[in-house]
Amino acid sequence: MKKSLVAALLLFFALFAGQTMADEHQAATHSAQKSIEADHYENHDKSMGQLLSSFYKTTGIFAFTNPKEGVVNGEGEKVSMFHQSWGRVIMIGITLVLFYLAIAKGFEPLLLIPIGFGGLLANIPMANMTSDHGFLGVIYNAGIANEFFPLLIFMGVGAMTDFGPMLANPKTALLGGAAQFGIFGTLVGAAALSQFTPLFNFTLQDCAAISIIGGADGPTSIFIATKLAPDLLGAIAVAAYSYMALVPVIQPPIMKALTSKEERVIVMKQQRKVHRLEKLFLPLIVLGLSILLLPESTPLIGAFAFGNFAKESGVVDRLSDTMQNALINIVTILLGLGVGSKLAAEKFLVGDTLGILILGLIAFAVGTAAGVLMAKLMNRFSSEPINPLIGAAGVSAVPMAARVVNKVGMDEKPGNILLMHAMGPNVAGVIGSAVAAGVLISIFN
Amino acid sequence: MENMVSESFKYMILGMGIVFVFLYVMVLVLQLQTRLIKKYFPPKPPETGNKPDGVDKKKVAAAIAAIQHHKNFANK
Repeated sequence: MKKSLVAALLLFFALFAGQTMADEHQAATHSAQKSIEADHYENHDKSMGQLLSSFYKTTGIFAFTNPKEGVVNGEGEKVSMFHQSWGRVIMIGITLVLFYLAIAKGFEPLLLIPIGFGGLLANIPMANMTSDHGFLGVIYNAGIANEFFPLLIFMGVGAMTDFGPMLANPKTALLGGAAQFGIFGTLVGAAALSQFTPLFNFTLQDCAAISIIGGADGPTSIFIATKLAPDLLGAIAVAAYSYMALVPVIQPPIMKALTSKEERVIVMKQQRKVHRLEKLFLPLIVLGLSILLLPESTPLIGAFAFGNFAKESGVVDRLSDTMQNALINIVTILLGLGVGSKLAAEKFLVGDTLGILILGLIAFAVGTAAGVLMAKLMNRFSSEPINPLIGAAGVSAVPMAARVVNKVGMDEKPGNILLMHAMGPNVAGVIGSAVAAGVLISIFN
Repeated sequence: MENMVSESFKYMILGMGIVFVFLYVMVLVLQLQTRLIKKYFPPKPPETGNKPDGVDKKKVAAAIAAIQHHKNFANK
């Protein structure tokens, strides 16, 4: 017994050694072909000093302090001297700020931590993790370049969404449409600024990808950005998630500025009970409409409807549970790291980023304002009272925006619980921004 | 380069139009659905909290009697 074991081990080692030798041989011929100028591949004796100095040249300290001309990044693009040295240091600083915001301030930690860490890894010199064979590059190509991960997230969001509040009062779904004006209004604004001022120089595709930030929907933003403007993905994703985290800061002043005290204290009617069948048919109705009107939006809406249908069917709790928890968690990790790979200095520290951050903020504010104004209008003409504050929840950002509406309402009139009334426009906003995304895709395809 | 602003303005009209048409049709379909479901699957009449009569009433009567009995004794 022992003998045979030893024999097997010996055989294994022999095979292994043979394999590595073959590999080494291949590698040697390979590198000899490729790099004649790289003389350290040649095997001659080195003194300790030479060894140390050649080792020093492979350290991060050397790479940060001695930027070289002609260094290329993972995608084979040239990286400027600034982006190799200070740019990387600044970006590492920015990722640390993202960590601070996520941990100390609680800003969307589930995304900012993976995105921030991806950004940290992407800025390591020499390791080239964003190249096609690098850690981050593999993740990016596996699921972001082909728009796969955002769809999986959308599926999980579908499985988490309860359409009950929207079904109870379908009219409020229109508020989720009004808030999409943030997207299209900003599109016009960005196009005007690019054309008439030297401030920005975006193409129409870029403008569309940036303005989708106004939809306040992370996966949709990433989906559209990869399709229309992949170079801007990092900045767009960071802007989208940062502003979603800043909903409680950005929205209340706009909501208060556009409404009067009397409007803010409006109490809405108790919602009716929704039949189980209504919830079951809803994903099919939404999908059916998008098939008829806008097939370009069906990847997003289809994934969303599938998640929601699995939840409401009530017979595949295991699947729905996986989508809501395990799957969405895994994909969030991968999505965050992949998006983080676009936080490499040479991609992020460019003039465009500032423009994206500003335009994204405008898009967000305009969307909120449009939702509130639409709700004011509906309140004027509706038989049932509608508190205009719930219009602000039309930007998707589920469920944060609805919670903010609830809080502002409670501050005005304690006990006036608007949460469920705000959830209607909120989930309709998800559908609205997916439809808006479908329109943009259909325009530019 | 063509006029980006007028181009994007057209996109805005188209985009907002489609978003609203989509949601409006959805609202109509949902309202229709609500009516159909109410018609063909009327909500079950709310179940009365008490179990079928008889047993419960007897128990309640017994409980009241016991309390009364106890009070009577306590007063003595």
